[in-house]
Amino acid sequence: MAIIEVKNVRKHFGKTKAVNDVSFEVNKGRIFGLLGPNGAGKTTTIRMINYILSPDNGEITINGIVASPETQKAIGYMPEERGLYKKMKVFDQLMYLTQLKGMDSKKAKEAINYWLERFDASDWKDKEISELSKGMSQKIQFIATIAHDPDIYIFDEPFSGLDPINSETLKEIIIELRDSGKTILFSTHRMEQVEQMCDDICLFNQGEAVLTGNLRHIKASFGENTINLEFEGNGAFLDTLENVRINNRSTNFAEIRVLDQQNMQDILKLAMEHAEIHKFERIEPSLTEIFISTVGDDNIKKAEIK
Amino acid sequence: MNFQKIWLVLKREYLTRVKSKSFILVTALTPLAFVAFIGMVVFFSISQTEVEKQIGIQDQTGVLVEKLISLNETRYFDVSSEPVDSLRKKTIDGDLDGFIVLTDSVLSAGKSPTLVHGGSGGIAFISAIRGDIRDAVREAQLERANVSEEVRNIFESRTGLEAIKLTEEGESKDNSFVASSLGFILGLMIFLGIFFYGAWLMRSVIEEKTNRVLEVIASSVKPIELMFGKLFGVLSIALTQFVIWIVLYTGISIAAAPLAGMIMEAQMSSMPAEASEAASAFDPSVLENFIVQPSIFFFFILFFLLGFLIYSAIFAAIGAAVENEQDSQQFMLPVGLPIFAAYMLNTKVMQAPDSTLSTIVSLFPLTAPINMISRIASTSVPIWQILLSIILMILTFLGTMWLAAKVYRVGILMYGKKPSFKELAKWIKQG
Repeated sequence: MAIIEVKNVRKHFGKTKAVNDVSFEVNKGRIFGLLGPNGAGKTTTIRMINYILSPDNGEITINGIVASPETQKAIGYMPEERGLYKKMKVFDQLMYLTQLKGMDSKKAKEAINYWLERFDASDWKDKEISELSKGMSQKIQFIATIAHDPDIYIFDEPFSGLDPINSETLKEIIIELRDSGKTILFSTHRMEQVEQMCDDICLFNQGEAVLTGNLRHIKASFGENTINLEFEGNGAFLDTLENVRINNRSTNFAEIRVLDQQNMQDILKLAMEHAEIHKFERIEPSLTEIFISTVGDDNIKKAEIK
Repeated sequence: MNFQKIWLVLKREYLTRVKSKSFILVTALTPLAFVAFIGMVVFFSISQTEVEKQIGIQDQTGVLVEKLISLNETRYFDVSSEPVDSLRKKTIDGDLDGFIVLTDSVLSAGKSPTLVHGGSGGIAFISAIRGDIRDAVREAQLERANVSEEVRNIFESRTGLEAIKLTEEGESKDNSFVASSLGFILGLMIFLGIFFYGAWLMRSVIEEKTNRVLEVIASSVKPIELMFGKLFGVLSIALTQFVIWIVLYTGISIAAAPLAGMIMEAQMSSMPAEASEAASAFDPSVLENFIVQPSIFFFFILFFLLGFLIYSAIFAAIGAAVENEQDSQQFMLPVGLPIFAAYMLNTKVMQAPDSTLSTIVSLFPLTAPINMISRIASTSVPIWQILLSIILMILTFLGTMWLAAKVYRVGILMYGKKPSFKELAKWIKQG
């Protein structure tokens, strides 16, 4: 069931086409990754889902309701640029932000106390943010995002600026949230986190969603037609192959992506005729490679991926 | 518009500021300064603080020096026997503060005498001497002309002017000077209030922007709700402060006259007869003039409120457009211009509150908050003018709100280079 639905959304700033006809769905209880290089339109899309910006065209629905102040309550949002009031006490600050999300003061108090307890932060209640270390204030920021108990969590570049230990903690929490039935959408340009955590992805490039779907399916669709070949001898035969693209080519190694339905055994036979084969392996390419080949110069057409 | 959220924003804005030390300090110290000021007025008017200057008189007419000495025996000395050179030396050495040579031509031809002095005393001192000489010379001239007692009495009589203000409630003692001063002060307070609290609001918006807390808030609250919440939050702070001051002022001004009377009575009984005579020249009932009509305070609050709303929306928009206070300067200037003009013109309004200029500036919505309150305090403004200026201000405030909300909405998410006026215009179109 789609909990977030983005349909043909467009957002231009003057001549800049920040988001151009983007559509994707986020399903309930999944971790959804929004990937793409800087300036691809991830943050603009996230802001539209949060109803901070409104799309020029198209529609965004959350639980079937068009993005509005009503839907904001269902979302906990942590922006890429994190910030809190420096001169405000931790507890007052959390109360303020949580109540703004529509929680009544009694429930907000309970929730905040619970989370402060859980993060070993109860002692900081009466401290001002300016007195806290960076790591501490990041924890407070996280509590501010989740205290109103939303169904959806949106994190924009959540791992940027985190040390490895905090990164790991955050990863665990995200997975824990997913396992308790919550939906998480986060953006990142770091592929390894996506590979480890995401159920579904949407790949952004220059304001467009160039690749959407289940991560495993996407990888599988790439993996079936990729060959890792190690050989000894003259590699000139590789140039005679048709409808393939060769990555990582060196004197005795080549990663061959087969672009049509030709039999891979034929490639093996050809290779055996010209060189001594040490290794012939069919693999799934890493997401980084999918990313680069999708948004790079030799862009794979959308149609081929689907 | 969600009023619950506006209320939350307002409450935060209000509570965090009202609890701050600087707010408590400013609120408490300002009336204290006022009390100190009133105290000083009373003190100076009952005590002779001026050190009497000593002026030597070299009288060649033979009649003037006596008259001067009888006018002020501590100030004037007969030095007719001493030569001018030694008087000069005494003045330079500081034994004398100055001297005057009175030749016969002063009496016969009305020539102005010359005061040679050591260069201290000020304008008031010199004009006091001028007055004394005038009186003495006139008296001597009258004597010399041998005019009748009757004529002399005519010259001695000084007619004053008593003014009574007639209103529907009846006659009252006129206090034009106090009224127009009050008008000016109230105008000044509104001017300072708009600027001070406007800048306060702007800083508060900039703070949220530089803290980067704005995006989190924007994911819970509409920008317009946030702007209104902050605006009315700061307005509430301002009103709290003004109401505290007005209550204190009213209390002090009502108690001032009887209190000063009591203090003086107590002092006079312990003072020598002569001094108490001087003190009784001060009439404590003068202080009653400081009591301000409640209706004037009502208009003061109303005009401050409208003026603040007109300008503060713009201040909030500037805060949203820039990232630090330095960048705000270029926008502050055009915004500050009308309000500065209003402040400058206020002197004119105070002098002639019923002139055409005063009427125009008190109706023009950008200057009205300051100039209209000055007029209301110092003259009887026709009710239609007050209503018209209020309506114009409300319309203006709706206009500035509308523009500011658009700039605010776009501005709060803009980081990077500071925008130009052209870009701001684009934001408004975009909104």
